[in-house]
Amino acid sequence: MGAQRPDRGRDKASVVVRGVSRVFPGDLRALDRISLEIHAGEFFTLLGPSGCGKTTLLRLLAGLEVPDAGEVEIGGRAMAGVPAHRRSVNTVFQSYALFPHRNVRQNIAFGLEMQRVSPAAIARQVDEIAELIDIGALLERPVDALSGGQRQRVALARALVNEPAVLLLDEPLSALDAGLRSRLQVDLKRLQQRLGMTFVFVTHDQEEAMVMSDRIAVLDEGRIAQVGSPQAIYERPEDVFVARFMGHENLLAVTRHDAGGVETALGRFEGGFAAGTHLLLRPEALTLHADAPPGSSGNGFLARVEECLYRGAATDYRLRCGEVPIAARVTNAGRSQPGVGDTIWVEVAPDSAATLNARRHTG
Amino acid sequence: MKSPLERALRVFWLLLMVFLYAPLVVVVLFSFNSINSSARFAGFSLEWYQRLFSNDVILSALANTALLAVMSTLIAVVIGALLGYGLYRYRARRMAWLIWLIYLPVIMPDIVFGISEMTFFITLERLFGVLSPGLGTMVIAHVTFQVPFVALLIHARLLALDPQLFEAAQDLYARPWQRLRFFLVPVLWPAIMASVLLALTLSIDDFVISFFTAGPDSTTLPIYVWSAIKKGITPEVNAIATLMIGSVFVVALISLLLRRRSLTGRHLQ
Repeated sequence: MGAQRPDRGRDKASVVVRGVSRVFPGDLRALDRISLEIHAGEFFTLLGPSGCGKTTLLRLLAGLEVPDAGEVEIGGRAMAGVPAHRRSVNTVFQSYALFPHRNVRQNIAFGLEMQRVSPAAIARQVDEIAELIDIGALLERPVDALSGGQRQRVALARALVNEPAVLLLDEPLSALDAGLRSRLQVDLKRLQQRLGMTFVFVTHDQEEAMVMSDRIAVLDEGRIAQVGSPQAIYERPEDVFVARFMGHENLLAVTRHDAGGVETALGRFEGGFAAGTHLLLRPEALTLHADAPPGSSGNGFLARVEECLYRGAATDYRLRCGEVPIAARVTNAGRSQPGVGDTIWVEVAPDSAATLNARRHTG
Repeated sequence: MKSPLERALRVFWLLLMVFLYAPLVVVVLFSFNSINSSARFAGFSLEWYQRLFSNDVILSALANTALLAVMSTLIAVVIGALLGYGLYRYRARRMAWLIWLIYLPVIMPDIVFGISEMTFFITLERLFGVLSPGLGTMVIAHVTFQVPFVALLIHARLLALDPQLFEAAQDLYARPWQRLRFFLVPVLWPAIMASVLLALTLSIDDFVISFFTAGPDSTTLPIYVWSAIKKGITPEVNAIATLMIGSVFVVALISLLLRRRSLTGRHLQ
């Protein structure tokens, strides 16, 4: 019955989203003219706070939601009018959504059964995927006897066994505890690299997004704030929203900008900065000195240590320069560190600061 | 030492159980009496059961009861399940009050409901010449009070399910009819079985509504018992009562077990 089956994704597929809008009356989850290009074989993450529209966008790709405007293409094929059950796209749901009336094997087999694959082929493919995901021992168990991590793996196997062109993952790790979560992040990333499949991953956790993704799209109230590699998003956020969402605290209003540098409440910083409303200082790119070192670039300021938070590999410092609070992170490499109450010189390395705008995508 | 209150509650509990179950025990006991008496037990015998199964009127009442129960249950479960699903599917439209609208006549006194149904059927017959009292009218009457119970059970089961399950079935290539066959019906199966058993007991139990909607040839067991009792309680009536107690007890027990399963989300494999 091969002719009955939707196009199977043995070839990894790209995803194109063009001007897609989705409006829910009286609801925040709307999408506003989103355009995106997700490359074939890429681990792509939709990152944003709850209500930013990331899950809605994922559901539009799955066909569980229909756009009010714009178009979606998967593997070069327009998806308008193609219902969810005819799309070669599978989803790992946030709740996992394992069928309670079926055991693990029957859950994984569901998609193949619906496509009328022969029972012998189903059994073989289920065994293969179970071995790949390392859940062979669970196959005959009822799903209500599984732990959270096991459910997550079964949900992943149930989607992957269909060899979809694109795998969609809707916050699949958010229900798990921290240790298991970081282990599965690595597992999932390795699996994606091994399969070379296009993964579209939704999360609200910026660290998770950075660890796992090839590229990240940061969403803010139904619009794309920035798309780029984890490094680009973290080190060169394009607006204050992205910077804050990526965990940055040191954002100084720019009072004057010229070819030689910018002026802020902490004084003047030399360098060829692009025009922008704010200056970002990355906490791990600041160095702390007892005195201004000789030969200092002059890009620095005096600050008082208010708090030291020892984290093992690094120490987080809460500093204050006049009225301005500054966060710094220093790697613990055995040298003596300043203590609370000390007045110190904070040196800003030339490439550790960048200017950005209040909000890039207005109007 | 137990407090006086605890002891009083214990006595109350025992009295409650005695008044609930002692009459049933007496009926069952005297159905096996060897003499025709409801006052003195003379010895064990199956005489009244033999008489019962050679009485054509009783056998026809038994057949009517079974036919009525099965027909009304089949119809009520289909309609009730569709209603329960519809209310769930379109829950955004907030129409759950519909269930209470059809539930209202059911919690009205049976006698009022029965008389109303009777008057309605008689009016229909006079105006259009359809629906003369008989099994047909009884089936309709029974379906009307069974449907809300079925709809409530199915609706409750659907509300207890993870809504993403419906999307998972779609996402995993299930076409609409496949979703019904491989997802919806299996996942609702415990609730469907519980509905069947509940509807059966409701139908077998019912006297008042059946009495008002029955015709001359559609006497059911409860109606037969009622008319037999007017001539005095015989061990034969005790035997019928014993059979009904037994069947209702079994059905209610299975229904309770199934409902518990369906509510805790455990399933028959």
